[in-house]
Amino acid sequence: MAKKSESKEGACSRREFIKVGGAVAAGLQVGAVAGAGIAAGRDPSTHTGWQHLGDNTQFVDRTKLVRKGPAYEITGETLRPEMQESAFGRQSLIMRDMRQYQEMISSFDAGEERQEGMGAREEVPQGEGAPETTGGERPSQDELSFPPVEAFKEPMLSWYQNRPDLYELDKIRMEEIMPRKQKDVENYGDYYTLINAWSDSWSTRVRITEPPEESDFKIEGRQRIGDPKPFKSPAHAAKLIKKAAHHFGATMVGITTIEPDWCYNYDLRGSEDRGSYEVPRHWKFVIAFGVPHQWEQVNSNPNSGTSFDAYSRSSIAARRLETFIKSLGYPARRHSPMDGYDLIAVPYLVKAGLGEQGRHGIVITPETGSNFRSAFVTTSLEMEIDQPIDFGVRKFCEHCQICADICPSGSISKADNNEEMNTRGYRHWEINQTSCYNFWMQSMGGMGCRLCLIACPYSRKSNWVHSLARNLDTHDPTGLVEKGLTKMQKNLFEAPEAHEYLPPPDGRFANFREPPEWLQVKNYLDMDVTDPTIGG
Amino acid sequence: MITNFVIFAFVVGLLTGAVVVGAVTWAKDLGLLMNWWKWFLSVLWYFLLLFLFFAAFTFIGEGEAAAGWKIVGISAVLLVILGVGLLRILKAK
Repeated sequence: MAKKSESKEGACSRREFIKVGGAVAAGLQVGAVAGAGIAAGRDPSTHTGWQHLGDNTQFVDRTKLVRKGPAYEITGETLRPEMQESAFGRQSLIMRDMRQYQEMISSFDAGEERQEGMGAREEVPQGEGAPETTGGERPSQDELSFPPVEAFKEPMLSWYQNRPDLYELDKIRMEEIMPRKQKDVENYGDYYTLINAWSDSWSTRVRITEPPEESDFKIEGRQRIGDPKPFKSPAHAAKLIKKAAHHFGATMVGITTIEPDWCYNYDLRGSEDRGSYEVPRHWKFVIAFGVPHQWEQVNSNPNSGTSFDAYSRSSIAARRLETFIKSLGYPARRHSPMDGYDLIAVPYLVKAGLGEQGRHGIVITPETGSNFRSAFVTTSLEMEIDQPIDFGVRKFCEHCQICADICPSGSISKADNNEEMNTRGYRHWEINQTSCYNFWMQSMGGMGCRLCLIACPYSRKSNWVHSLARNLDTHDPTGLVEKGLTKMQKNLFEAPEAHEYLPPPDGRFANFREPPEWLQVKNYLDMDVTDPTIGG
Repeated sequence: MITNFVIFAFVVGLLTGAVVVGAVTWAKDLGLLMNWWKWFLSVLWYFLLLFLFFAAFTFIGEGEAAAGWKIVGISAVLLVILGVGLLRILKAK
């Protein structure tokens, strides 16, 4: 009897052991999964754009994403971009006209204008009702700072007359933002010592100094290219060029044909004439590619990041690819952030099938989201071309307004769609480039903002959670996944409010995420610095 | 990397075996009349638990701690509700 009882107790304890063991194992399994989750979250190979590529030129098979039809819907007369349309291009025209205006004012003060002819005055158009700035009353201090519309030369005069809103924004930048930035740099510049050094270190440039008829046919500006080496087929040429571009540093590569509407209508690099030009005949194909930003610093935008790391990498890849093509006997010209462009980037990226244009005006790709910078090589080498793709960005951007909500300058439209938008005859999302640029001039660190690049849900890390979400969204025809994910994105992830990125007193120079420890002065330099991000 | 994964898979495999044996014993001792769909629902609940924890801690690992802890909180509530419902189903004769 006692033996039986002992056996029962033994069985009972074995049973209890299995039960307790099972429960403990379940607990350990949850712990193991949590640990694996942390490891998956930290894994540097999931930094978006920096996933392991192996020998591939892209991560995604685009043949399944090809969509029919042109890259953009044409909504009117199509035009080439003019210098004054771009906030950057306009800045150099503004500086030119301001210098002449200042000279004119100086000569007014010196009483020289009547004695030595009109000088700069002759170049100042006097439109109807224009104030008489060159005679009679002395211009006010306000006019001295930023000239009145009528004091600008063409093309700025007509531009400002048609776009008084941009005149006001440019005036604000020149009169208020830039002097304030100077003071901010004096007060807080030291705090950004490392990020500025990091940014500067990437910003070397190699200017093109000859027109396309010369420079595109010379290797390294000296040796004339040889006879073109024949390829087996355009498909072989495309395959080789993509592989080479990838090994030269390009993360993703696409190929398309030249579109004159998307070549600037001014200032051809290397040409003495800064005006309009005909697109060179040997620019038949465009190789478009992208390179991501360093992951940690791009997350610490807008005040502790830089554009120059990806600018530099894409520019170096472009130089290498240009030389490669020239060495095979074909003319080529690079268009890159560090060496300059003769074409506009975004439409070529879309046409070459690298991605789709988002609400923030820039391109979103399946591999990198918005976290990349592009460069191009134009050439006569005949290659098989790629087609525009559709992986759901158009619809996604209509519902997701995260970039617009977080934009410190309010430059990104919050419209329901881009139906009413028309840029030089093409329909696509457009932003207020001038107010965007005005914020660039206020931000610290490497000049710029880049907040929309990193706040974009497609730029989230490429670990299993976000990759799963992106894949589900791409393959869901109902749009439910997209709406659910956007809601989750807005409610789960925290970021400073739009105004917090501004300088004090409106903001506190906030960043999207903390700068990496290796870009924080306090960790490496023996300097007393004022942290402007505290308080405010 | 591959070695780490193999060790991890081995350990998780062992734990899974222990969980399965334990679960069967628990079911018998609690007097639950289990059939294939009850087991299916139970496995589904457990996988949901693992999935949500994996997701939450992936967010924490990538530096989005707030998002991760929010998911832990939401998951806990969701799993308790589903767990109570599941237990009622399992206990039903």
